[in-house]
Amino acid sequence: MLSIFNSIPTHMDYKGQKLAEQIFQGIILASAVIGFAYGLIIEQFGWTVYIVLGGFAVSCLLTLPPWPMYRQNPLSWQPALPETTGETLQKPQENLKKKKHK
Amino acid sequence: MNTVLSRANSLFAFSLSVMAALTFGCFITTAFKDRRVPVDIRVSRVMLKNVDDFTGPRERSDLGFITFDLSADIKPIFDWNVKQLFLYLSAEYATKSNALNQVVLWDKIVLRGESTKLNLRDMKSKYFFFDDGNGLRANKNITLTLSWNVVPNAGILPLVMGSGHMSVPFPESYETTKSY
Repeated sequence: MLSIFNSIPTHMDYKGQKLAEQIFQGIILASAVIGFAYGLIIEQFGWTVYIVLGGFAVSCLLTLPPWPMYRQNPLSWQPALPETTGETLQKPQENLKKKKHK
Repeated sequence: MNTVLSRANSLFAFSLSVMAALTFGCFITTAFKDRRVPVDIRVSRVMLKNVDDFTGPRERSDLGFITFDLSADIKPIFDWNVKQLFLYLSAEYATKSNALNQVVLWDKIVLRGESTKLNLRDMKSKYFFFDDGNGLRANKNITLTLSWNVVPNAGILPLVMGSGHMSVPFPESYETTKSY
């Protein structure tokens, strides 16, 4: 069953991750301030908890799925080099050399 | 923050920290509040018996029966940080063998949302008023006070004594009723 979930793409690019973090921190802090003020006014701490939980649910919805707004700045990868037989022979030797120098 | 689980972890941890800070804020807003309320206690009848007390080593101990009236308005104590109040009526007196005796006669739990005007008439004590020996007979001064324990949502549990007490003397002999 887990293999189905692994195949759904959930990545965001770096600017998208920063945006997502700012969004959920902002929403939860705002709901905390509103909830504290409301609970203080109506004298019930339960409402403070409900409002913060509501803020949590809203930010879950906004930041957990990879919406397109978080994929606006994708990294530009280099094009993949085609592998030739000469390179595959050279690569193990280069790895051995690097290990010795360490 | 690349995967859903990583974002969910970060979000949940942040929410929990914020919730902890809010709970501390709730505690701070009510930590220094004065929780005393005037209380009116009256005693209508007092009776004294001398019976076998099986919980102690003595032969016979004094057993008192008190009928009391209680009225108080405890609404000012309740705020957003109070879950319930534990009220108890205690009798305090001194005898020849013990300098200080305190006995709880009656208690009640008042949840938030229940009626807060206490107006009890002719209440009998819930628990036995046994003395450690025979010190209740002809005791000049037995003081009844109502105290309460405030159970908060967050913070410490203060023990507060109500401002108002009633002192009664006990009868000189057994099996006689004294009315006030």
